[in-house]
Amino acid sequence: MTTQPSVTGSGSSGSPDPGLSPRSSQPRVITTGFLVGRVVVLGIVAALALYAVPPLIESESWLALGVVGVATLIVTYAYLSTRHVPAKYLIPGTIFLIAFQILPVLLTVSTAFTNFGDGHRGSKEDAITAIQTGSVTQVAGSPEYNLTIALRDGKLVFLLVNPTTKSVQAGTADGLSEVTGAELGITGKVLAAPGFEVLNGATAAERGKEISDLVVPTEGGAIKANGLSRAFEGKTSKRYRADCDCVTDAETGQKWVADADIGSFVDDNGQALAQGWQVNIGLANFTRVFTNNTISAHFLAVFVWNVVFALASVLTTFVLGMIVALALHSPRVRGKKTYRTFLVLPYAMPAFAMLLVWRDMFNTDFGLINRLLGTDIDWIGQPNTARFALILMNLWLGFPYMFLVTTGALQAIPKELVEASTVDGASPWQGFRRVTLPLLLVALTPLLISSFAFNFNNFNAIRLVTNGGPYAIDNASVGATDLLISYTYRVAGFDTGTADFGFAAAISVFIFAIVATISVVAFRRTRAQEEVYS
Amino acid sequence: MIRWLKRVGWRHLVLLLTVAFALFPIIFVLSAALNPLGTLSSSELIPTGASLDNFENLLTRPDLHYQRWFVNSLVISLASSFASIFLSFCAAYAFSRMRFAGRRIGLLALLLIQMFPQFLAIVAIFIIFTNVTELYPAFGFNTPWGLLLLYLGGALGVNTYLMKGFLDTVPKELDESATVDGATHAQIFFRIILPLVAPILAVTAMLAFIGTMNEFLIANVFLLEPESKTLAVGMYGMLVGDVRNGNFGMFAAGTLLMAVPTVGVFLWLQKYIVNGLTAGAVKG
Amino acid sequence: MRIRTVGVIAVLGLALAASGCGTTDEPTATPSKDKGNGKLVIWADQKRTAALKPFADQFGKENGVTVEVKEISENQQQTFLTASQQGSGPDVMVGAHDWIGNLVQNGAIDPVQLTAAQKASFPEIALKAVSFNGQTYGAPYAIENVALIRNTELVPTAPATLDDAIKAGKELKAAKKVSEIMCLPIGQQGDAYHIYPIYSAAGGSLFGTTATGDPDPKNVTVGSAESVAAWTKLKELGEKGETALKTSISNDNAIATFAAKKCAFLVSGPWSLVDIKKTDIKYDIQAVPGFAGGKAATPFVGVQSFFVASKGKSKALAQEFVANYVTNKDVALALYNADPRPPALTAALDQVKGTDPDAGKFLEAGKGGFPMPAIPEMSAIWGPFGNAEAAVTKGGDPATAAAAAAKAIVDAIAKK
Repeated sequence: MTTQPSVTGSGSSGSPDPGLSPRSSQPRVITTGFLVGRVVVLGIVAALALYAVPPLIESESWLALGVVGVATLIVTYAYLSTRHVPAKYLIPGTIFLIAFQILPVLLTVSTAFTNFGDGHRGSKEDAITAIQTGSVTQVAGSPEYNLTIALRDGKLVFLLVNPTTKSVQAGTADGLSEVTGAELGITGKVLAAPGFEVLNGATAAERGKEISDLVVPTEGGAIKANGLSRAFEGKTSKRYRADCDCVTDAETGQKWVADADIGSFVDDNGQALAQGWQVNIGLANFTRVFTNNTISAHFLAVFVWNVVFALASVLTTFVLGMIVALALHSPRVRGKKTYRTFLVLPYAMPAFAMLLVWRDMFNTDFGLINRLLGTDIDWIGQPNTARFALILMNLWLGFPYMFLVTTGALQAIPKELVEASTVDGASPWQGFRRVTLPLLLVALTPLLISSFAFNFNNFNAIRLVTNGGPYAIDNASVGATDLLISYTYRVAGFDTGTADFGFAAAISVFIFAIVATISVVAFRRTRAQEEVYS
Repeated sequence: MIRWLKRVGWRHLVLLLTVAFALFPIIFVLSAALNPLGTLSSSELIPTGASLDNFENLLTRPDLHYQRWFVNSLVISLASSFASIFLSFCAAYAFSRMRFAGRRIGLLALLLIQMFPQFLAIVAIFIIFTNVTELYPAFGFNTPWGLLLLYLGGALGVNTYLMKGFLDTVPKELDESATVDGATHAQIFFRIILPLVAPILAVTAMLAFIGTMNEFLIANVFLLEPESKTLAVGMYGMLVGDVRNGNFGMFAAGTLLMAVPTVGVFLWLQKYIVNGLTAGAVKG
Repeated sequence: MRIRTVGVIAVLGLALAASGCGTTDEPTATPSKDKGNGKLVIWADQKRTAALKPFADQFGKENGVTVEVKEISENQQQTFLTASQQGSGPDVMVGAHDWIGNLVQNGAIDPVQLTAAQKASFPEIALKAVSFNGQTYGAPYAIENVALIRNTELVPTAPATLDDAIKAGKELKAAKKVSEIMCLPIGQQGDAYHIYPIYSAAGGSLFGTTATGDPDPKNVTVGSAESVAAWTKLKELGEKGETALKTSISNDNAIATFAAKKCAFLVSGPWSLVDIKKTDIKYDIQAVPGFAGGKAATPFVGVQSFFVASKGKSKALAQEFVANYVTNKDVALALYNADPRPPALTAALDQVKGTDPDAGKFLEAGKGGFPMPAIPEMSAIWGPFGNAEAAVTKGGDPATAAAAAAKAIVDAIAKK
């Protein structure tokens, strides 16, 4: 703030051409500050690049390495060059925006074209592994070996002790062989054996991966480690066969053939194995949005309430926030700091906690609200009262935000303008209507649009308070306070633990299209205003 | 008297009513926090018993790490709000002061990108950060730095708009005359513009701080070590499932304490918001 | 000039976007990523994290490895699945047995090979709960189910039937000694878990059974004639009837209301004792009784279990921990001491019973219980069932509510 007086001084001799941007006006003189700034910026870029590169080389991520290289070059160029001034200001934020907002969104949207979801998360290989591992059973009548991990000629060996006969065998990838002269401990583990180097717990644990991978073939199946101290002889009943691209069950003879369209192994009766894999299913998720009865039957009702909810939330919070900000925006009001602090409190409390508190206050029998009002209203349990309660809660949670931004925006409105209108004989109300409000709206419209978008997708409020309810008795799928987003959540199965991400992503694309359209239309209407004002 | 009522009185009336509305759920939480039984249904608006047991439990129970969470939250929120304000202000400056191709589209894109439902992107964020964790453990899961990076992805957003709107009202004549005087665009930015917009910086810093304090969705999948959690994540864990009943008193206490840094930041920034009044008068 | 500025930003954007994708695909292929050796990572929810810490450390000491216990605050199952898929998941996961179906279909957990002796050390119900498709998928460590907890000062003798309990509650309410007849959590969204004993006692069911006696997801019976009779019974007990069931009583206030002596009966699980013991209430625990002349009430039985993650980096250690370490009696006792839920291990339970009769009573109350089906389809039940429950409790038509719930469940299972 110390530079302010000089600023005021230079402000009076302004150039009259507002269309000209600074970079085009004069050739720049290279100053020390200029040089130091360049060096610092480039130093940071170089340091980051140097930090980023070695792990990429180590993991042989050549594509990523190339991208880092190109990005570094571009950033270096942008800051070394005396041109491209906007880029200099936009690059830092844009990098983060791309990496952590745009990229996740693009990745998410790409799942809309797949069957990604529970039961179809991984690759086909993953599914085959899971099917085979899941079908491993202990060979009937086989002993439960005590296992000792050992080395022979540097190679990993299982020393297997039969707990009943105490006989010791060595197991390797080649099979079993007898071991003689082994010394056994009381727990049945091998303490020492000639020709073997017995590994203790910690050293064995370090070779955990090798231990899990070692398979000792036997007649009836294979011996595998079960942890570090036991081993068992198991057999896999379900196996994948590449020749028929199918899974067969050795015991029942059943056969499941891979269906690449749905990412499952399916038998003759159309029954699929639970473990499937992720496949591209094209536009199927999108067409499902249209053909899904639950969605199409209730879309309109949900949509209307969704718009009402978002609009009401924005309007109520904005109006209350603005009134309070205006009430405080006067040198005559005393105790401003105290008022402000109290008014900001709802915003300072964690929102999820307060939503739960509000919900409990609306409880029919135990809630504070019924107790204070002396009523017996089932607030959350009836459609209209539940909607009212939600909007009220949202007002409480949101008005301090509007209060803060309005306060900020009010500072920017030149007092002279308001005073001028008073001199012209306008009443305070007219002054507000004609001068303050339009100026406020210019500054705040984007925020109002964004607040609308936020509330349009205000999942938390619905989820924590009503979870979409109350539900009509003949409809257990869609509730009276469901927003499109909470509804998506449920239809896509997130509620129940078995999620269908692909379908959810497809619905989200539609929701996004809706909100974006509304917002773009609203945004365009502000364009004229903004250009006039700036 | 009537004149006072007309000019000042109504303001107090409005303010008092709103303050009452703002405070009454908080008083309810306060009474729950002070109530040793500490359960929702036993709480009245006026505390039935007053004890600090809940606060004590909250701070001493071994399975909670409230103090650590508190520090984590403060550090992450402060760092992230400062960094994001800077990034966001740089962008707002470019959008407000410069005319370049794609400006309008860029602004619109910033608005639109915020509208994609966040909870879906969690899986994608997981994918990205699994790889980051493998490559750069210092910025991976369970690190405040990683979370900070992730939060900075949202730096260019609504706040950019707020600042741009404010910058639009700062007369261009200021920087243009400085350009004529031979100042570089960086000098104009740091010496002239930045100090002028203190009020809006204060407001957005406040918004960013609160936003980060309350952020839950991402932090929940990102921070798994009990000690590395933020307040929002840690406290949510106190409420879910079958542990909720008994924890409510402590939870209420935690909620109140959680508001303290936010209010502190607000009190600290408030003077800049007020000072903005004079800064605004610069416009001539 | 202008065009170039945009170009720079766009190229940079594409480049960075590509870099993200690039890093996404590649590292999984490189073998140098198995850093897990010598380290065991366990995930649990908040409460169990604290309980697990001490003897996870002990296990680490015994085996010369480091053990990390990490806490997942919310949505443990989905977080685990997502992380597993990405290779950033744990080696051992702690969770409820009813996750098994979903975890298995995602290939997220491996079967646990228990010896015959180990299997024999668990009650049958616990083993049955962790079995899925004929395989054992977890090591049980605690069994929990709801029971009827009674304030013995208000109601000295244990009610033999639900009718007796409700009658006693009504009398107390009429005498203004309590404000509620019964504290059974329902809430605005219903609560299938807590109502199920009563629903089943009135003849209701969820699924038909297959030839092997497992629940048959193709045969949803929520809307069957017997179930509609049960829904009708719930309506009679609800807000327009006896007012023994109310949507205003939920998980958030049921235990507290009982603890404040505002109702004589509480339907809840072992976790509620933590709060009840803070007060001076004298209480007793019994199985939720059935209706006079009706069927027995069968509560859901949940089994907290340890799972071995398929994609863990230290699988051998994980198996050692799950199959050979937590099935140990001392460990089971240590876990019980940290978080008092009845241990699944019979030997541990017998020892606990001596000092804490409540644990035995809860287990006794769950004897005839119904292990929550671990099939993935079970997850489709909760929402629609709860909605129907809330609707009939408020006095809605049972047949309509049951039909709507059945339809929603069938739709969700079929995934259309």
